[in-house]
Amino acid sequence: MKATKPKISRRRLLGAGLAMPFVSMMPGIITAGRASGPVKLQFMYPVGVSGDINTIVTNMIADFNSKHDAIEVEAVYAGSYENTEQKVITSLGVGDPPSMWLPINSSLQTFLGLDALEDLTDVAKSDDIYDDFIPGFLNTAVSDGRLYGLSFQPSTPVLYYNKDAFEAAGIAKAPEDWDELLEAAKALVVREGNEVKRWGLIIGGGWHDWMFEAFCRQNGLLPWEKDKVLFDRPEAIEALEHWKKMVDAGAMAPASTWQGSANDFMAGTTAMLYHSTGSLTNMRTSSPFKVGVAFMPKRKTWGAAQGGGPIMIAKKQSDAQKEAAWTFARWMTSTDVQAEWGKATGYLAVRKSSWETDSMKAYLEKVPEARTAFDQAEYSGAFMQVPAYSRARDLLKSALDRTMAGEIAPADALNGANAEINREIERVLRRRG
Amino acid sequence: MLHRLSRRARGGWLHFVMLPLAVLWMSPMIWIVLTSLKTRTEVFDPAAGLLPEVLVFTNYPATLSVAPFGTYLINSILTTGSILICQLVTITLAAYAFARLEFRFKNFLFGLFLLQVMFPIYSTFLANFVTLREMGMINTLPALVVPFVASGYGTFMLRQSFRQIPSELSDAARLDGCGHLATLWYVCLPLVQPTLIAFGIISVVTHWNDYMWPLLVTNSDSVRTLPIGLGLLAKADSGADWTRLMAGTTIVVSPLLLMFIIFQRRFIDSFMHTGVK
Amino acid sequence: MSRNVEKARRNEAVLAYFLLAPSLLFLAAFTYWPILRSFWFSLHDVLLGDPRMFFLGAENYQRLLSDGLFWKTLGNTAFYTLITVPVAIAIALLLAVALDSKLRGMAIYRSAFFYPVMIPSVAAGMVWVFLYAPGYGPINEALAALGLPQIDWLNKSGLALPAIMLMSLWKYSGYFMLILLAALKLVPSDLYEAARLDGVSGWDQLIHITVPLISPTLYFVVIIGLLHSYQIFDYVYVMTQGGPADATNVLTFYIYQTGFQYQDIGYASTLANTLLLSVLALIGLIAVTLGRRVHYLGER
Repeated sequence: MKATKPKISRRRLLGAGLAMPFVSMMPGIITAGRASGPVKLQFMYPVGVSGDINTIVTNMIADFNSKHDAIEVEAVYAGSYENTEQKVITSLGVGDPPSMWLPINSSLQTFLGLDALEDLTDVAKSDDIYDDFIPGFLNTAVSDGRLYGLSFQPSTPVLYYNKDAFEAAGIAKAPEDWDELLEAAKALVVREGNEVKRWGLIIGGGWHDWMFEAFCRQNGLLPWEKDKVLFDRPEAIEALEHWKKMVDAGAMAPASTWQGSANDFMAGTTAMLYHSTGSLTNMRTSSPFKVGVAFMPKRKTWGAAQGGGPIMIAKKQSDAQKEAAWTFARWMTSTDVQAEWGKATGYLAVRKSSWETDSMKAYLEKVPEARTAFDQAEYSGAFMQVPAYSRARDLLKSALDRTMAGEIAPADALNGANAEINREIERVLRRRG
Repeated sequence: MLHRLSRRARGGWLHFVMLPLAVLWMSPMIWIVLTSLKTRTEVFDPAAGLLPEVLVFTNYPATLSVAPFGTYLINSILTTGSILICQLVTITLAAYAFARLEFRFKNFLFGLFLLQVMFPIYSTFLANFVTLREMGMINTLPALVVPFVASGYGTFMLRQSFRQIPSELSDAARLDGCGHLATLWYVCLPLVQPTLIAFGIISVVTHWNDYMWPLLVTNSDSVRTLPIGLGLLAKADSGADWTRLMAGTTIVVSPLLLMFIIFQRRFIDSFMHTGVK
Repeated sequence: MSRNVEKARRNEAVLAYFLLAPSLLFLAAFTYWPILRSFWFSLHDVLLGDPRMFFLGAENYQRLLSDGLFWKTLGNTAFYTLITVPVAIAIALLLAVALDSKLRGMAIYRSAFFYPVMIPSVAAGMVWVFLYAPGYGPINEALAALGLPQIDWLNKSGLALPAIMLMSLWKYSGYFMLILLAALKLVPSDLYEAARLDGVSGWDQLIHITVPLISPTLYFVVIIGLLHSYQIFDYVYVMTQGGPADATNVLTFYIYQTGFQYQDIGYASTLANTLLLSVLALIGLIAVTLGRRVHYLGER
């Protein structure tokens, strides 16, 4: 299936001619060709949390390289999750993918569709992966019972709340179900005349489809299958109706942006916020008030969808590289590395044993909020792993926005978006024949 | 220069209008610099006020520690400089041909030059990525330069200026026995200096801030540029790292501002006279 | 004689092609080749990352007709361009004329109006998200101080695009100002002296001398302005990602989404080609109308 692209000699010639003056102009800048020696691997990663992650990742990899003489990993920062995926896929298209990359877990079907992923099931089973990984995290890289990646930096949305505001409003604890959420949001709104000075609740925009899947799950619906989405089901429509109710009650902001909503919370213009666990450290250190973290309120059950992603290993590379890549991925997800990574970033350590280390226990004592997201992870699963997931997300977000703005009824919005998403999924599946 | 006699009066009037407007325009920059000197909690604390309580200069070294900004700075200078030099050569030659020479297909060819500005740049990324890869140039500095060597934009801009040069001037030079290239060099180029400077500033600013293309075609720190370092601070799950993002912005903008202040002095006086009295 | 003229003409043409060659070489490799690829891709089902292509014929173009989002982004793009560009050019012209002087402080003013162009879009976008924020954002604080109602700029679908347009005026007026400032230097100064001696007022000088004499550059600025909507891609990308409810989605952003985020290269190419052809037609129209009225000093 993966025929390599024929090379067109005329264009290569043209290319060489064009490159010439620049090559001579800038000596020493062209990177050297592959030398023999250690196995060289490229690892492309996005920055999820803050600038420091770059430093942390770079140090982790320097540490790995110093401990493994036969392997040399080059860490390549590749922008946001979307940028990383684009960079990897563009390289895949020319038959030259990096050895490993770290995308969002929703992209699993996209990469499988490109036949890009090495099947890790057997090597993982002969290791302790299946025993020690937290199943909810491991499963985000599983399709049809086969494992295609090692979960590295999972996150889920959680409910952040302003403890000072709760105290002032006389609310003792974070809301635990949808009705309490509505009531608390109503009680926390501050108005002056027609103007809202403080919202009761903001659902972080830009990723509100992620939160919406969580609401569906809380209402007992996993809103997608491998090749279609189910947002037209009554459970989903009921979830959106509940959002609409909170907006109509004047308790929840009808729209927001991802960056803006985090600012709003830290500036105190919303009392509650649905945002990623990945923001925990930033929220704690930048807010001028006490920050509470709670489970997202439930309906029928607790529920959340996982953000963040697994380390995936390219199929198209030599066996030596695959072996080295596995060594690296395993090291990155080993007990101590994961414990340190989780502490530094707010992401959730993927191994049970990581949570049992002394340093992690000491951290949880100091920052008990970190425990919340971990406990909630038990009720979480992969996020919208369908082909064409990126278009699916945008179509869904648009439908949610239009409903909140009052342009369209919840059921119509979801039915329309659902049909459109399924048509796009079919369009991609048609290629696979 | 409109009213040299009443310069003082005009100056007073001008400042009266311009000063408030300039302050309004500057306010985001003032905010950027102030924020770069705050602590993290101060940014969002409504009680904190506009000015930082203590000036936190540590945000600057903390920003620089995120990525090898020194290397990035050198690479940014190298790529924007190379692009500018190449562009000045290609657009001068082409614009002179379009403005001063007669040849077949002139309008058609000019239209072809404009295609570059009309086609959305992101639509060229895939094909250009493949081309550069076949040239073996992925992950090198030249990959950040070669797609921008020719500039339809610059050619158009400069052509308009060349056509503004009174023909008496160039005709005189031609009659003195100058060839086209000599006329171009000794007569036309000095006259359009302000346009060249304006184009230069715009080109440098544009490519200095390029983000998507460098992100796509480079992998190693040794060939990456400043905006990628800035991206590390801005594009985050958790909301931006405000204090350091603003410190980084100040760092990235400063060299440009310095360049602008130096070169805008060149917009002092017109060299040109119609010769009509 | 006539043979000499013919020979001179041929030499001139040869020289012209020689001068164009360097540009054309690079344009061929990095502009025309992508455009040709794009037309080829638009007839196929092409997925980023997958070397296989499937022939579709005109299916992608038919999709355009029923693609509501395409029409919406087209409308947004037109709205943005039609309002922002004339306003930005008008501001820029007034600034350029006002700042074209040897008076003290010009460097500061010019820098004050031009510096927004220099701020990297990632940072500028983030700053404006903050400036526009409801409640604590400085713009809303200013409105409140004036006793005006607060506005939730970026989160209301009717206001989000105007908010980006306002930011765009801040960002790009200085850009056009710089180009026009350079053009003013090409206006022969003796014309102003003559006008002043005749007692022509400042405003009349602007309309009857300055504008006609810099008309070549104004023409350039109008055409470049038409393509200006391409530049708000960055802000849409950083500030709103096209939302809420696609209210700020513009064609270039939609093309980027389709090609890179959705990997649907075939359809993204279709969109890009459609944009290219429409812009080409528009510019052709401007060239035969406005272009004819441009006055070049160097030509009679």
